[in-house]
Formats: sequence, structure tokens, C-alpha cells
Amino acid sequence: MNAEQIRLAEARDGKAAWKKWGPYLSERQWGTVREDYSESGDAWNYFSHDQARSRAYRWGEDGLAGISDDQQTLCFALALWNGKDPILKERLFGLTNSESNHGEDVKEYYFYLDSTPTHSYMKYLYKYPQGAYPYGQLVETSRRRRRDELEYELVDTGVFDANRYFDVFVEYAKASPEDMLIQISIHNRGPEPAELHVLPTLWYRNQWSWQAAADRPALEQFSSSKGYCVVKASDAKLGERYLYCEGEASLLFTENETNTQRIFGVPNRTPYVKDGINNAIVHGREEAVNPARKGTKLAGHYYLTVKAGEQKVIRLRLSDTAPAAAGSAKLKSGLFGADFDDVIEARRKDADEFYNAIIPISLNADQANVMRQALAGMLWSKQFYHYDVDKWLEERGSDPFKTKRKAAPRNDRWHHMYNGDVISMPDKWEYPWYAAWDLAFHVAALTLVDADFGKEQLKLMLRDRYMHPNGQIPAYEWNFGDVNPPVHAWSTIFTYRLEKAQTGEGDREWLKSSFQKLLLNFTWWVNRKDRSDRNVFEGGFLGLDNIGVFDRSAPLPTGGYLEQADGTAWMALFCENMMEIAVELAMTETGYADMATKFVEHFLWIASSMARIGDDTGMWDEEDGFFYDVLRLPDGGAQRLKVRSMVGLLPLCAATVFEGELLVKYPEIRQRLKQFLEVRPELRAAIHDPAKIGLADRRLASILDETKLRRVLARMLDEREFLSSYGIRSLSRYHAEHPYVFKTGGQEFRVSYLPAESDSGMFGGNSNWRGPIWMPVNGLILRALLQYYSYYGNTFTVECPTGSGRQMNLYEVAAEIARRLANIFLRDKDGRRPVYDGMAKFQDDPYWRDYILFHEYFHGDNGAGLGASHQTGWTGMIARSLHLFATVSPEDILAAGKKAYAEKTAKHRHRATRSPSKRAAEKRLER
Amino acid sequence: MMSIKKVTVALFVDRLSNQWVVRDPDGDFWIVPFGESGWDRRRPFELSEISQLESIPRHYIYLLDLPF
Repeated sequence: MNAEQIRLAEARDGKAAWKKWGPYLSERQWGTVREDYSESGDAWNYFSHDQARSRAYRWGEDGLAGISDDQQTLCFALALWNGKDPILKERLFGLTNSESNHGEDVKEYYFYLDSTPTHSYMKYLYKYPQGAYPYGQLVETSRRRRRDELEYELVDTGVFDANRYFDVFVEYAKASPEDMLIQISIHNRGPEPAELHVLPTLWYRNQWSWQAAADRPALEQFSSSKGYCVVKASDAKLGERYLYCEGEASLLFTENETNTQRIFGVPNRTPYVKDGINNAIVHGREEAVNPARKGTKLAGHYYLTVKAGEQKVIRLRLSDTAPAAAGSAKLKSGLFGADFDDVIEARRKDADEFYNAIIPISLNADQANVMRQALAGMLWSKQFYHYDVDKWLEERGSDPFKTKRKAAPRNDRWHHMYNGDVISMPDKWEYPWYAAWDLAFHVAALTLVDADFGKEQLKLMLRDRYMHPNGQIPAYEWNFGDVNPPVHAWSTIFTYRLEKAQTGEGDREWLKSSFQKLLLNFTWWVNRKDRSDRNVFEGGFLGLDNIGVFDRSAPLPTGGYLEQADGTAWMALFCENMMEIAVELAMTETGYADMATKFVEHFLWIASSMARIGDDTGMWDEEDGFFYDVLRLPDGGAQRLKVRSMVGLLPLCAATVFEGELLVKYPEIRQRLKQFLEVRPELRAAIHDPAKIGLADRRLASILDETKLRRVLARMLDEREFLSSYGIRSLSRYHAEHPYVFKTGGQEFRVSYLPAESDSGMFGGNSNWRGPIWMPVNGLILRALLQYYSYYGNTFTVECPTGSGRQMNLYEVAAEIARRLANIFLRDKDGRRPVYDGMAKFQDDPYWRDYILFHEYFHGDNGAGLGASHQTGWTGMIARSLHLFATVSPEDILAAGKKAYAEKTAKHRHRATRSPSKRAAEKRLER
Repeated sequence: MMSIKKVTVALFVDRLSNQWVVRDPDGDFWIVPFGESGWDRRRPFELSEISQLESIPRHYIYLLDLPF
């Protein structure tokens, strides 16, 4: 094992708490649902960015390049001031949902450059303009722009012209689980010397103000020695910590308490409030910081002049080692001596070694860079998420058990919920809250580096403190009761198989307990979302925002309801995944065999309903060779809503191969299923025949039979429809020239191909499923194609792209789509990365061009990044895709089926861990 | 019988006079000064048409060290 793998093992075994400190600080706590106590539920405007510097948070903290412990008791982050801004740069600025023409958007440039899974090494880059940050200009210009215009970006303001900015790199390296070295390197990229105030800030999350008799933690200046000063941090639960600040920083203390004078107009109870340091530095108000040098918020103040092209370094150390011991043998050469540099360098090397064992040797340097930054982004996107819904409801006077109460604008049916955990976020600025289906995809990428964390995340959503007593998995804080696609079971079995191949045995107890909770969730779906009890499902927007003709979560303008092709396909896939889990468990425990049979049968009910129900008004359209949502009208009429979208491709994703091990072990089940199919021939009439044996005696559970599969693939692989140069679009390009139009009640509803941003405010208007490329559903398409391939083998070929005359088997098709997805991020033959499209600075500047942003979704025609700019979350799936196609060959899949990838990954990992990392790096450089 | 929690205390600021206002469990409104024994020094607050009461999240109640 390499050093980082040893740390992971020690964390797993409870020998050392290597994950106790990490990047668990949010990048935006203001404007969130949990901080919103307004009557109307207007979270964005209730607690604004402008208030954030002065108002203590109730539920969590935010900051720049920050860290905290895993309960977020003590936080550390960076603050900066260029002498021109009206406020300290303590947190990232962005526009609220109503300020921007395409919804909320962070207006800063920052990059997650590296992280190991225990956060033993982390690196972050923030680009800070030397001129005044154009807060007002961004707001005003964005407000004026229409929905059909591009977003106004920070780089468009000219504030980065002539490179008048600082590159501020923040590195963290752990000498031990409780000894964090912090190195801040400031580079002046501009043509002249420039001044900068650097304020590394340490503070306690305010927990003392909100409850009676709560212990109050304390920060105080402890001592100063030659070469550094020390702050002691004391908390009853966390214990004592020391922040060592190298050099001659002046220490500024205040309290992390609301400036009630500024926020509410009533006098402060203490002169030292949250914005005290801001007021002291920016406004010269020395009385705003405590001369007694104590408080709950502290900044070391470094004032630098950095010459053009020069670099300056500030070093700090956050440790549980008291100064008396710090000079002892524990730190041979002192706090900031050679030891410091040695530790930083050692952790950098550990990180290289760790990733050289993860990143396939066949990837070239650019691909390896993309994969490593994708994983760095995934790891930096962990956040301590704290939300006690019952308490929150009570504090806003909305206790659901009181007869006389104010109605809560949201979540009052989720009063059982208590969240207080480190969770993988979609984007710590734009979406600093978990989303259930996003999380399932995050885990598929995170398990490349940390299987334990992946398993914990999946388990967390199923715990009593999260899952509703009725079996629903919470969607996200804006409405926990909303419905996300049920992909949790898929992620669960995928994670289990990887670990099983890696360690030689799977975590069956984890799988069993997950299965039991997933059963509750499955039953919730069946009982709540199948209105007619015919195994066809609704679900509303199901994560696809504006993809429908109507808002699918709202009452339909026609009355009636929708039978959703995606909802039903998701449930077919859910059945398949539950079947896989039950089969795995049944190999050693007979009791699960019956559950496997139950899910076989349930799959057949759902799949056959999808393919045949309604005959001429079913979801399958024989003429078009495509699946559509069906509108069921109050008068008994029905019609297909013929929008060719991802909704109609998802049935293709409900495909899973089975190796037949259940039938070998339990011959009576084989007999039972045979009888079941014999007496219900209609069940398999319109779907793939589950009794039909494929390659290597495999069986296939699939909604689509071979004929339907070929027809859907013909559309999906048609460049005039779904296949873009950068992956599969969410809506067919056909609708560019042929918008789908639906008229009812004097209203016209129209769906057109929109490859970039949404042209409507539906679902906040900040996401668009009418054309762009989305990584998670592309990932599921890749998965399905490999399932089909392992069943049909090399003889099943299709034309790819449609009309090209080029025949490919389904492995080759999957690899081709994966190649196109990767091309979003990789340099093309001209050295340009499509993700940055026309942004010259990102394309050409050596200080920008190799830093990768992993956006929420991508332009359907040119691959440009759109939506949230740091949604490494599910876009981090690109790391899994790069890894998969560099690891597993078509021959492997034909030989070992769906186990092939997990087994090859394990072999690769063992081999790479044994090999010197230098060899991997050298080989990559050679290419 | 298990008692079901909490009295319906509410907290406001009066934007006209810039003072904390507390509605006690009996529904009476009080001006409460900050500082030691603020509650003991409370004064009745008369709601009127010109009052500009802004509701404050209940967790701020602990700032005022109220007896309930």
C-alpha cells in the first residue's frame, strides 16, 4: 500500500482520524434554505451576500479555500483585501437567482487543483483582481440582460486585463491527523508591484448564541516567539488547538456574532461583531477589534507588497501541539523550519504516488490532468451539512404539531430530519446542499479514490435521520418531498462490486442493510407514483427540469396526468438493481432468493406495461421508433407528447445482464420463473425475452427488444438528433427546425432545441435539459451499452454515427461516446478546450489554460461549459468514464461480463501500487 | 402525559424605535433592553398603526437572556 492508502486504512479501522479535518467549509451559506427565516421562503433575498459579513449563520459556515473539523466547530479560511474593494474578500461573490439572466451564478475564478481522499494534501487556486472587484457592474449588467443573451462574466468586466491580479494558491498538508500545515503562495501576475492584505482567519461556528447555557469557545493570543505568533483555540468538546502564524502578523480578534446594529437596527451587545475585522482593515476602525486579544473569530494580518512577477509565501500551522511541545523533538527543526517544507513536499509526493496508482498508465498527460482535477473537485466538494428541520420549523414558528402556527414555506413534513454530516455537494457555491440523485452519481466517481466515503454517503441517505418514515429519500432542501430519479440502488450495487473485486470480499452487511432500506423506498415509489396500479409511473420533473412540454411537477393545463416514460424506465432500472442485489445476497443467504424472484417478476410487469400498455396510446411509438410521455386526459382520451428527448432514451438505460448464477444455485427458481413466463406470455411479448440466452449463457433484463433497441439507437447515434461531438444531447436537434407545439385552452406550449441556456424561468431557469449534454445520463447510457454488449457480443453492430456507413459493436459505440464526452475537457488539435469555448484567457493564457472547470452541463453543439461552474459533483463522472475505457477491453467484457470492470480495476490497482510511481509518471510524460 | 414543548414566544425589532420587542407567552408585547437582566427592565410595548415590527428568527431569543 502507498502512504495515502495506509491513511485510508487507518481511518477505516479507527486507528487515526485522518478525515477529521477537511474542506468541509461551504463556499456559500448565505441564500440557503436553512438560513431562511422569511415568511415567504425567499431564501436568496432573506440572507444576502451583503449581510453575510455581518450576520452570524445559524447552521453552517462559509469561506474561501477553507477547512473545518468534521462537526464544523472550528473553521479556517482565507480573507484578502487589495486595498480597493469596499469589503474584505472573505467569501465568493455571485449573483442570486433573480439578479442574473440565467439564475444564480458564482462570479469568481477558483480551481480545485488537488486533494487526496484523507485531505492529507490539498491545493486550491483563487484569482484575486488587483483592481476594485466590480460588484455593482456585475449585478446591473446581468439584470439588464435577457434570457436569450449570454451571462455576463467577471472576465468580461475587464478586471483581469493586463493580468492585474494575484494567483493565490492555498495548500494544506497534514503532518498528522491533527497537525495541518498551511502554505499560502501569492503571485503577482500583473505588470507592476501591487499591495495585498492577506488575512488567514480562524473562527468558531456560532453554536453558543442559539441555545441556553451553551459553552462558549474561545480564541486568545497565547504567546509570540521569535519568528511566529500563536493563537490558542479552546472548545469544551473539540479541545485545544493552536494556530501558529509565521512572521510578524498582527492578530485581530472579534466575535462571530451578528452585528445587530447593521442587520436589525438595534444596538450590539458587544462592540466586537462578525464584521469587526472587515471594519478594522477596510475602514480603519481599530475599535472594531478587541484590544484584549480574545474572541471567537481571529485573523492574522499580513500586509504585502508583491512585485510584478514575484511570489510571496505565508505559512501557518493549525495543530493540537502546544507551543511548549512544538519546539521539542516532535518538530526537529521547529515549526517553520526544514520540517515544514519536508512535510509539504512529502504530502505532494504522496498525492502523486496515490494518483499514479489510480490513473491508468495508458492515459496521456492531458487526460491524466483532467482525471486528477475531476477527482480533486469531487473531494473539495465535501461539506459539513447541518440542518435540524424540527428545530428550524420551531424557530420560525411553524412547529407542525401545533394547531396555531405559521405555515412553513417548505419542508414541514420532514420534521423527523436531522442532518449534521459531511456530505458530497453538487457545487459548494451554486448548490451547497445535497441532492439525492446527484449523490448517487458522485459516489460512482468518488469510489475511484475512497470506497469507504462512497459507502457512507449512500448509507447516509437511507438513515432514519434522512429517509422519511414513509420510505422516501429526501430530494434536496428546497423541497425534500420532491422526487428524484431512483438511482440509489444502482450506485449501491456498483459500489459493492468494486469493493468486492478490490478486497476479495464484499461488505455484505452494508449491502444487506442498504437493501432493506431500499425496499422501503421501492415500496414508496410503487404506492405513491403508480396512480392506476398498472405499473406505469409518474414522478413529476424527475430531475430533468424543463425537459417537458409542461412543468411536470405542477397540475397540467389540460387536467389529467402524465404517464412518464422516464419515471417508468427509472423504476424498471430500480427493479433490475434490486434484483442484482438480491441475487448477490442469495448466493449465501437463501432468504434473499425469494426477493430476487419478486424483482424479476416486478421488472416484467413494469417493462411490459411500458412497452405495450395503451396499445395505440402507449409510450412506445411504433411509427417514430421512440418512447414518449403519454398525456391521459380527464375525458379518457390520451395522446403521446412527441418530444424526442432524454425521457425517451432512458428506457434504453434500463438494461442489466445476469450471469445465471441464481438459477444454477436455485433450480426451483428456474422452474418457477419458467412457469410464470409460460402462463403470462403477454409479459414478454413486447420486451426483450428474458428467457433468451445470450453470449456466455447470459440473460438480459431489458425493456427494449433487439428491434426496438436498434430503432432507438438509430436516433440516439444520429448527429442530426442526439449525437453531438461532445456526447448525447438531452433533446434531439430535430426540434431546432421542428419545435414541438402543443395547444390547449388558448395557450401554446412549445419545446425547441436550445443547445445552451434555458429561455424560460421554469425550475429557476438556471438549468436546461432542452439540448445540452449532461454527464450523469450519459454515464447511464454508457453503462447500458456495455450491458447490451456483454449480452449480444461482437455480432450486434449498428451504424455509428447513423448514416456514416461505419459499423460498430456496442462497446465501440460506448467508447466513441466516452471519447466525445472527454473531448469537452481535453485540448483539441489546436490546443483549445471546448469547455472554454470563446473565453480567450482560459484558452491561451498559460496561467489559466490547464485549470479545468467541471460545469453542470455542456452546450449541445460546441461543448462549452454551462450552468454551475464547479459542479464537479456529477460531472466528476468523467473521471470514472476515462478510467473505465482505459481499464477494460471489449475482450474483458465478453469474458467476464459486468464483473469485468471491477475485476480489472482491482488488478490494475494492485499492480500500480506495487510499481514505483515514478515509472507511471515517466511513461505518461513519454507520451 | 408527555408535555408538548415550548411556549409561543416571538421576537421582533421595532424599526421605528430601533429596539428589541418580545411577545411573551401571554401574548403581551415588551420592549427589552440589551444587557444584564434585560427582562427585568422591560417596558410595555404598545402596538400601533405606526409600529414597524420586523419578525426576527426565534433563535435570537437567547441573545436577550429571557426567562422562558
